[in-house]
Amino acid sequence: MALPKSQPAGLSRRKFLSVSGWVPMAALLLLALVPALSPSRATLNLLTQIIILAVFAMSYDILLGYTGIVSFGHALFFGSGAYLVGLIIKHSEPTLGYLLLAVLGTLLFALVISVLIGYLSLRVKDVYYAMITLAFAEFFLIIAQKWRSVTNGDDGFSFRVPTMLQHRVVYYYLILAFVVVTLVFLRRFIHSPTGRVLIAIRENEKRAEFLGYDVLKFKLISTMVAGVVASLAGVAWALQQQFISPGVMAVDKTIDALLMTIIGGTGTLYGAFIGSGLISLAREYLPELAEIHPVFGHWYILFGLLYILIVLFFPGGILGTFRGFPRKRKSQEER
Amino acid sequence: MDVFVNLTLSGLSTGMMIFLVASGLSLIFGLMGVLNFAHGSLFMWGAYAGVWVFARTHSFTLALLAGMAAGAMVGWVMERLTIRRIYGNVVAQILITTGVMLVLNELLSATFGPNIIATTVPPLLAGSWAFGNIVVVKYRVFTIVVGFLVALAVHFMLSRTRVGIIVRAGVENQEMVQVLGINIRQVFSLVFVFGSALAALGGVMMAPAIGAVNSGMGIENQMLAFIVVVIGGMGSFLGSALGSVIVGLAGAYTAWFFPEASLAVNVVLMALVLLLKPNGLFGMGGE
Amino acid sequence: MILRLTHVSTFIGQFHILQDISLEVPAGEVTVILGRNGAGKTTTLRSIMGLAPATGGTISFMGESLNGLPPYAAARRGIGYVPEDQAVFAVLTVEENLRLAMLRRDRAGNERLRFVLDIFPDLAQKLKQKGGSLSGGQKQMLAIGRALVHDSRLLLIDEPSKGLAPIMVEKLAGALRQIKDHTTVVLVEQNFNLASAVGERYVIIDDGHTVQQGLMSDLQADQNLQRRYLGIAAAREGGKVV
Repeated sequence: MALPKSQPAGLSRRKFLSVSGWVPMAALLLLALVPALSPSRATLNLLTQIIILAVFAMSYDILLGYTGIVSFGHALFFGSGAYLVGLIIKHSEPTLGYLLLAVLGTLLFALVISVLIGYLSLRVKDVYYAMITLAFAEFFLIIAQKWRSVTNGDDGFSFRVPTMLQHRVVYYYLILAFVVVTLVFLRRFIHSPTGRVLIAIRENEKRAEFLGYDVLKFKLISTMVAGVVASLAGVAWALQQQFISPGVMAVDKTIDALLMTIIGGTGTLYGAFIGSGLISLAREYLPELAEIHPVFGHWYILFGLLYILIVLFFPGGILGTFRGFPRKRKSQEER
Repeated sequence: MDVFVNLTLSGLSTGMMIFLVASGLSLIFGLMGVLNFAHGSLFMWGAYAGVWVFARTHSFTLALLAGMAAGAMVGWVMERLTIRRIYGNVVAQILITTGVMLVLNELLSATFGPNIIATTVPPLLAGSWAFGNIVVVKYRVFTIVVGFLVALAVHFMLSRTRVGIIVRAGVENQEMVQVLGINIRQVFSLVFVFGSALAALGGVMMAPAIGAVNSGMGIENQMLAFIVVVIGGMGSFLGSALGSVIVGLAGAYTAWFFPEASLAVNVVLMALVLLLKPNGLFGMGGE
Repeated sequence: MILRLTHVSTFIGQFHILQDISLEVPAGEVTVILGRNGAGKTTTLRSIMGLAPATGGTISFMGESLNGLPPYAAARRGIGYVPEDQAVFAVLTVEENLRLAMLRRDRAGNERLRFVLDIFPDLAQKLKQKGGSLSGGQKQMLAIGRALVHDSRLLLIDEPSKGLAPIMVEKLAGALRQIKDHTTVVLVEQNFNLASAVGERYVIIDDGHTVQQGLMSDLQADQNLQRRYLGIAAAREGGKVV
């Protein structure tokens, strides 16, 4: 079974699910109408969360689905984005100017860290990336937990956001704009020559190397793009929650990204929305069903099993399978 | 002086328990090319099984056996149902073992609840010996002895027995092992089950050392094991042994001066090794 | 016939490497597979062994089908394989390399081990050395010896003379002559001198097809055939240089 290798390159095959196609447009229109149709606080908050987590998952898909490497420390970027914006605004003024400064700082941090981790691990073996990202994420998590004078430790801290962003509906539309811009950027990226090389590396690294591509360089670019987008998602998350605790950097957050990407469909970008929607809804509503049957209290088991089944039998995830991509199964003997 | 001896003992003790986790992880990776992200869960299953049995029988021997049996069984089922299907696909292996980790961890917390469960050191091993100013905790000595014995046993198995020869040959060239009439898949299963049991043994021994089991101990020790194999070199038994001692000692010494930084030191150590000797201290070069 | 391939076809990835291989190997003789680089000689051996499973045709060994068998099962039926790169285990000692191939530690096994050390005296002196420390020629001897210890009724040897000094090739030819009294040998060989010195039958493979087979003595006489498929510009008379 070839997990991320199973989909044909990019999305150009089926126009109907591309940005220019009608499904995303209709979805966007629907989302834009939500505040008018059902302006309840809970709905808007949940939708905002789903969209932000989808951006996070899309950034993960760049690594897993388009480059074929697994990260266990992606929460590091998400969390550092959240912490940086929270800390900077808390220690200055909640103005748009400082927010912009925080975003710039976040970008810089994400670039430096992603290159550092990528350089250390990817030049050895891709599996090292999985282990080393985990270690680094844990490292920063411990800083967040133990550096109490700055981060207030496990209790976390809250902060005020610029007045303009305090309005739920305004923020909702801002997030919608954010996701559209990110989508356009990421689609551009994967259809660019660089993105093509990444897909070539995913398909056959040896061949890409043979063709003269500096594989390490392209993988580093991929981790940088993924890191930057993830940290922006973290910024958006912090601004919505207006509260930050070490949970944003825990390995569970990375696992969430992994689950969302796999369940939605790797190498599809849009799958992230399906994955994020499912997970967020499950987290919101399944625990309530625990009174009916205790298994719902442990809904993570269900997701874990679903995830295992998808990895084993539907490597295209929900979206990939729905699109009917051919799933070539590599011979089990192949090594 | 007494502080130094105690820190060294405690570092060695922790190192030995990490070694049990890391050596299995490294062997499995070296032979099968499988990076098992559920390895820490097997450790945790061992810990919980051990605590559960110890609370009921008050026999630490039974706890050790039960923990290893639990690890071996879960490992066996896991290899059959998932890993066997995806040999050769590194990404899918990482993904699938992560899924197994989620399920295994959640099964534990569904059974035992999310809170920590306290446990004690068995009476025979409780307390300490005093040599002047130096106080030696008995249980630490016990873990060091057990870890050392296991290391010797595994070393003997790898270097002297036929299975050991097959494993070492398999790490180098699986195809050729097959061509000599050996069903390497059977050896894979055996090594996987064995590595799982070792991880679980580490878990059983760790629980009394820290006085409790909790749902975070799996991933925590798995990460230390990762650091160990990165430092020591994937697939190298000697590397795991040395790496574990380094990680254990570095953690213990830093913990004395600056408790918060003990993990940080190991991450920095790992980064340094990666920078200077990317394949680890004892790693085989290249792929 | 101890080994018979009929219309064997093998894909590697999307490449159709073997398209139509049919050949027969009589017991107790040395059959040499000849052909240009990339003709499919190595893949033929790998398909017999199950390392590159055949997608079509039949492979039968001692009257039983080998199709679909994993490599270890083919080996247990009594086929030994010496790959082109020898694949000696560098981390194991010479003795461990040999012992690994001995599936049962019985008297017959020990006798075979003695036979191997007899025909390769170089190995006998280096039993405790690591495989990685051997010279190219010694590795080749170890690889062949390993296959012999394994009680092979059929020995598949891929280009043993490759990269060896002439004196080593000579030793090898001597050893092969001793081996062929004990077991059937299929030899892939580019060195026509060695091939004609030890071979009794030949098979020529070109572009994934078997194009010609017969007695080695006929091939030695037919310079046209040599020129056409083997690229031997000026085939030396008789080729008996070894």
